[in-house]
Amino acid sequence: MSENKPVVFVIDDSPSVRDALDSLIRSVHLNVQAFGSIEEFLQFKRPDAPGCIVLDVRLPGLSGLDFQREMAKSNIDLPIIFITGHGDVPMSVRAIKAGAIEFLTKPFRDQDLLDAIYLGIERDRSRRQASAVVAVLRGHFASLTARERQVMLQVASGRPNKQIAAELKLSEVTVKVHRRHVMRKMKAKSLADLVRMADKLSDSPETA
Amino acid sequence: MQPQNLRAMTRASLLPVVAITLAAGIFVADTIADLEIAVPAFYTVVVLLAVRFCKKRGVILVGIGCCALTLLSDLLTAASGSTGIGFINTTISLLAIATTTYLAVKIESEKAAAYEARSQLAHVGRVTTLGELTASIAHEVNQPLAAAVINGNACMRWLAAEPPNLDEARQAAVRLVKDANRASEIIAQVRALTKSSPPKKDWLQINDIILATVTLIESEILQNQVSLRTELADDVPPVQGDRVQLQQVILNLILNALEAMHRTSAGPRELIISSAKNDAKGVRIAVQDSGIGLAPDNLDRLFSAFYTTKPDGMGMGLAISRSIVEAHGGRIWATPNAPRGAVFQFILPMGMEP
Repeated sequence: MSENKPVVFVIDDSPSVRDALDSLIRSVHLNVQAFGSIEEFLQFKRPDAPGCIVLDVRLPGLSGLDFQREMAKSNIDLPIIFITGHGDVPMSVRAIKAGAIEFLTKPFRDQDLLDAIYLGIERDRSRRQASAVVAVLRGHFASLTARERQVMLQVASGRPNKQIAAELKLSEVTVKVHRRHVMRKMKAKSLADLVRMADKLSDSPETA
Repeated sequence: MQPQNLRAMTRASLLPVVAITLAAGIFVADTIADLEIAVPAFYTVVVLLAVRFCKKRGVILVGIGCCALTLLSDLLTAASGSTGIGFINTTISLLAIATTTYLAVKIESEKAAAYEARSQLAHVGRVTTLGELTASIAHEVNQPLAAAVINGNACMRWLAAEPPNLDEARQAAVRLVKDANRASEIIAQVRALTKSSPPKKDWLQINDIILATVTLIESEILQNQVSLRTELADDVPPVQGDRVQLQQVILNLILNALEAMHRTSAGPRELIISSAKNDAKGVRIAVQDSGIGLAPDNLDRLFSAFYTTKPDGMGMGLAISRSIVEAHGGRIWATPNAPRGAVFQFILPMGMEP
């Protein structure tokens, strides 16, 4: 699977901190996009690549913590690393509970930030891969006929052919034919494989 | 030290004596005089005096007592004068006393509420402005310092690369210098801000300053039921310094003493403020209380900034006091008081020229 180079998004209202972070992150051969505010970041057309956000807590307008809460609504699923000038414990607990990778108080050790960035990119990469797999599965599932879908769901829930035939008022032979088509169209190697696919499809909602 | 000028806080203890004497006088006059003469109306003066030294309940009791005295002397003098006019006079007097008592109590409680609100406001104002100021300065200084640290790290990483990226490293170093200068500029601005009013160098009589400061918080001292004694030596030499700043130090020590005594119920609350000539070289001022006292292992940290033993303290009072005293060429320290409490003392050197 070919993939674009990861991008680190830096959002900090202080130009000096922004430039410094830009240089530091580039020095480890990562792409950086820096913004002075969340509004600027939202207007930017993000490339199709794994990434993470390095976010200042104290920002003009929408604060970093508010933004973390709003992100789900804006359909942004990037991991966040918070940086703050005056971290207090309740604030960091809130951020971490809401899923932040790390909460760093300025000045922080550069390695701590870079480690958090690597972890964030890794997490985003596996999330993206997982959702890519689901997208492929969904494509396969879409190619099934209505009857085949019914049969697949029955099979995945562990019912024997005889029972499925009775349930759907079909002959057992027809069920077997549908079942073979399902296995082929879904590219499932085994029954266990098909059950896993059904799980993945039911786990991820139909948003993407 | 010879306390030549022993000033007791007499006003508070004198008032009840005056009030009782007056009440007794009115009672005698009322009993002797005819019923037509409305002597008891003068009891209102007693009630008004009582307001000065009593709490709400005390004032009400004094009012009731005055009414009782009025009725008693009426019984004793019932023999002479017209009873009809006497009855009217007595009723008017009783009404006057009752009304005065009611108004006095009401005014007093309004005043207490206003005082309470004002002192709370002053405290809140002091804490929030100082807190906000330090937070804002800390943020302003921290920002460029954080940037400098990141730039330094970036610079090292560009240099450590294979091959080293000298151009990027140079740019990072340039930014680092800029950030460090920015931090130092902010500190210079803060210093300029606090130095906007340079300490004045006036010739001052420390005793005058102590008395003026005591006057400022006399009501608070009375309210805390603290007995204050000032032992001011007559031969203290004048010192050179900033009157407002020195007053701030004394005020701070007195407020601390009051609070220390407020936090214990043991024994009488005694505050002694003294001044004395110090080895012919300057003045020593001491504020001695009978409060909760000092933990021996905290003595050296007492004057550090942000160190506090109070539940809602900022830890700035004594730190500021020390910087003021030291700016005047003096020294401030604390010792335990016997049997309870603490003594805070500071010495100020005599001015350069007489």
